[in-house]
Amino acid sequence: MQYRLNLWPKVESVCAHALLAGGLLYMSIPFMWMVGASFKKQSEIFQAPPTILPDQPVISNYIELFIEFNFLRHFLNSAFLAIVHTLLYLFFCALAGYAFAKYDFRLKNLLFLLLLGSMMVPGYTLFVPLFVLAIRLKLVDSYIGVLLPGIVGAFGIFFMKQNMESVPNELLDAARIDGTTEFGAFWRIARPLARPALAVLAVLAFLNSWNDFVWPLVILRTRELQTLPVILAGMIGLYRMEYGIVMAGSFLSALPVLILFLSMQRSFVQGLTVGALRG
Amino acid sequence: MMNGISRPESTVGLWYRYQRRLAPYIFISPFYILFVVFALGPLIAAFYFSMVKWAGTGPMTFLGAGNYLELFEDRIFLKSLGNTTYYAIGSVFVILPLALLLALMINAAVVRVKSLFRVAFIMPLLTSTVAATIMFLLMFEHQYGLFNAVLDAIGLTPLKWLDEELVKLSVLLVAAWRYTGLNMLYFLAGLQSIPPDVYEAAAVDGAGRWTTFWLITLPLLRPVSLFVVVITIIGSFQFFAEPLLLAGGGPNNASLTIANYLYRVGFQFLRMGYASAIGYVLAFIIFILTLLQLKLFGAFERT
Repeated sequence: MQYRLNLWPKVESVCAHALLAGGLLYMSIPFMWMVGASFKKQSEIFQAPPTILPDQPVISNYIELFIEFNFLRHFLNSAFLAIVHTLLYLFFCALAGYAFAKYDFRLKNLLFLLLLGSMMVPGYTLFVPLFVLAIRLKLVDSYIGVLLPGIVGAFGIFFMKQNMESVPNELLDAARIDGTTEFGAFWRIARPLARPALAVLAVLAFLNSWNDFVWPLVILRTRELQTLPVILAGMIGLYRMEYGIVMAGSFLSALPVLILFLSMQRSFVQGLTVGALRG
Repeated sequence: MMNGISRPESTVGLWYRYQRRLAPYIFISPFYILFVVFALGPLIAAFYFSMVKWAGTGPMTFLGAGNYLELFEDRIFLKSLGNTTYYAIGSVFVILPLALLLALMINAAVVRVKSLFRVAFIMPLLTSTVAATIMFLLMFEHQYGLFNAVLDAIGLTPLKWLDEELVKLSVLLVAAWRYTGLNMLYFLAGLQSIPPDVYEAAAVDGAGRWTTFWLITLPLLRPVSLFVVVITIIGSFQFFAEPLLLAGGGPNNASLTIANYLYRVGFQFLRMGYASAIGYVLAFIIFILTLLQLKLFGAFERT
């Protein structure tokens, strides 16, 4: 009995750590593999048994990536789209979330229900008509066409509503007594108070735009305008796929979001799960 | 004189009152304008398109239910439906239990360095599907890939990961890599919101580990589980990039999803009407599955 009491937690702890370590390994090896391969020559990539770390590290993959594939241009395209998307998305979602949290108005509940319901419609159902619409509105091959359908979204509004609820009404009323307009109350009182939530939403919005694959693939026709994921995906289909270059491109494309995430890891994890608990 | 003084005040008052009344409508209007233009309108248009034969330009031929009837005899569509169901079932019954198990372990007091695990498990989610699939493409390589090197090292026969028999499993392995961490975080958040005194009360009553898990933890995780299962199924039915980039939907359509087939039919074969019908069937499936789950988990019963 005494034995069991002492030993059992240890066995359990060892098992738990072993399983978690296995998971950790599975999660991190693809990254190492990618980074390793990006510094390998094609001949070393096709070598059995494979190496994790390159025997003779080379940077030629990165050089070719920038020269042959015009990587910087596509990186900047993606960055531009992601930044503009994030700013617009935050502004419009915060504004609408604030309205749902802080006002009573006619049809409020019905409109909110509609908003939640819109999250259920799968994007692919709208694919064909959206594309036809984009052609009619002359949005094909333009960044406005890439950005416009996504500058405000149901999830962002829902997320901001939950967070705007906690803005104290007294502060808003005090601002109104001083003669501030309703927009002024939002901009000068509510927005600064919601800054932590906005930061989380900013990461999510940036991530979505940065990693978006399908919509830019359909809308953008000119190669110069194309975003990183589409260019990377295009490299797979090439006649002679240069794995090292593709890996270098994947690594550099993953880097900005990884840095963004690691710099604000804690609040991000908390913010990410805010919707799940109320389900 | 009186009028002269009160007049400017009352117009200011009027404007001020109006902007108060209108403000919420103006604040929410961007969403509803875009919703009508880019969601509701297209949804109605898609329904109309699904009943015509149309190449995107030129004349439309009205078919009625023709596209839908064709779908039920379309072998490739039925195959993509089967494949997609496989991914959904695999995600719910393999990825989610794994995520729950990992969450339980990280939540348990015995595990140290929790934040390390949290970061490691969320990093895949930040990587784009494209980059993730490219990483795995190289690891699945028959002769030089990591998976076969590991199998070889422990004395097993190397597998053809991207062949017809295994390709769906390989897609699932990529999905597990990308989404286990996110679902684990959801479960973890749920576990941490269970008040500790519930467990204390159970311990006082002499409930064992197993009983506590089945009778306390799992029921209290119900809202989170519902959320996670719903988004997992919705997500799996919209699987697109992983099978496309890993194997082009092949070989022999073995990994093709409904969304892949929709894209192929609409944008490669230019059968816009038929593609819209596929889109509607997809929306219908997701709608029915979501309702079923809500009912199954008792979300309609008011507590």
